Amino acid sequence: MNTFEASVEKLCSASIKDYINPYSYLEWPEKIDTEQWSTTPELISLYGTPFYDGLSTAEQQRLSFYEAINFFSLNIHGEKSLIEGLAQRLYRKGNDLVSPYIHHFLDEENKHMIYFGGFCVRYAGKVYPDRKMVFTREYEPGEDDFMFFGKVLIFEEIVDVYNKRMAKDERLAPIVRQINFLHHRDESRHLAFGRLLVKNMYERYSDVWSMDTRERISEYLKNYLQATWKEYYNPAAYKDAGLKDAFDVQEQALQMQATRKHRAEVSAGCIRFLMENGILLEQPQL
Amino acid sequence: MKTESEIRQTLREWIVRTSGKIRAEELDDDTPIIERRIISSLQLTDLILMLERLSDSPIDIEMLKPGVFRDINTIYRNFFEPARA
Repeated sequence: MNTFEASVEKLCSASIKDYINPYSYLEWPEKIDTEQWSTTPELISLYGTPFYDGLSTAEQQRLSFYEAINFFSLNIHGEKSLIEGLAQRLYRKGNDLVSPYIHHFLDEENKHMIYFGGFCVRYAGKVYPDRKMVFTREYEPGEDDFMFFGKVLIFEEIVDVYNKRMAKDERLAPIVRQINFLHHRDESRHLAFGRLLVKNMYERYSDVWSMDTRERISEYLKNYLQATWKEYYNPAAYKDAGLKDAFDVQEQALQMQATRKHRAEVSAGCIRFLMENGILLEQPQL
Repeated sequence: MKTESEIRQTLREWIVRTSGKIRAEELDDDTPIIERRIISSLQLTDLILMLERLSDSPIDIEMLKPGVFRDINTIYRNFFEPARA
């Protein structure tokens, strides 16, 4: 058994050990007070900007609630396309080694959506809509699979930084902490799997890809990282939180030094991994 | 809401600025922006946000028909004309 196989087997055992019933595990409070923290203040998209500093504590807490709805909505949309992509790859030729783990991956991602959806629908009565669209095009051999898992890696690595911090933040409503904790617990395995697979696939295919293809992949993933970050700055959430000129707030906040620094810090681990493995050919500007 | 010509002008300026692949004088209202890869799938997210801002109404992408972002004429017809009807 090689290292890759052994690692996949280890991850499968861990998933079996941590298996839970998503319907009985969490105790949902009847209501969530929007004047308490639902997102770690330092992780709120506007933190460190005049837009945030100009709000009262109660207004900041209300914003933190809609930021949680946005964060959970992003996760639902990310996981919906993840499940779709994983299901397509289950038992596909060449995926024999990873298919057993894909079963766990699918099961766990479905449970995450139950938590995220449960929170959004119970307490806000909605999920913010998705704005991402994908065009089909011709791919080099292995490119489609690689891009899929590369995007999953970027999305999950950012999310996990948030989950880890919020799972430990005692200022947050207990249900929010629990959801972040449960997500992080499974995601730590998905991230290990993602890094293993992305590295393995790049080593397998990059020699047969032309330089043009490698540059295209690097450019696409760089743009995907930037697009993923933009979704954390949702005018609909700002509007629901009572902020005026929500679209201007979004546009201006994205350009501010404090938010650029935050995005660079949160993405640092993911970018380092992609650059060290030669996948990203240049440092993305966030 | 802006006038039709203001909306079309805003769309033209946004496409040229965002794409970086086409000059203003090369972009007509019937230039296929998706087919010619002037706008990428990732940039489409920003376009949707911009259309929500211009039309002051949210867009549900699950309800969109194929081809609604084909060119400026089609975008205008799908996202702005119904509101003026």
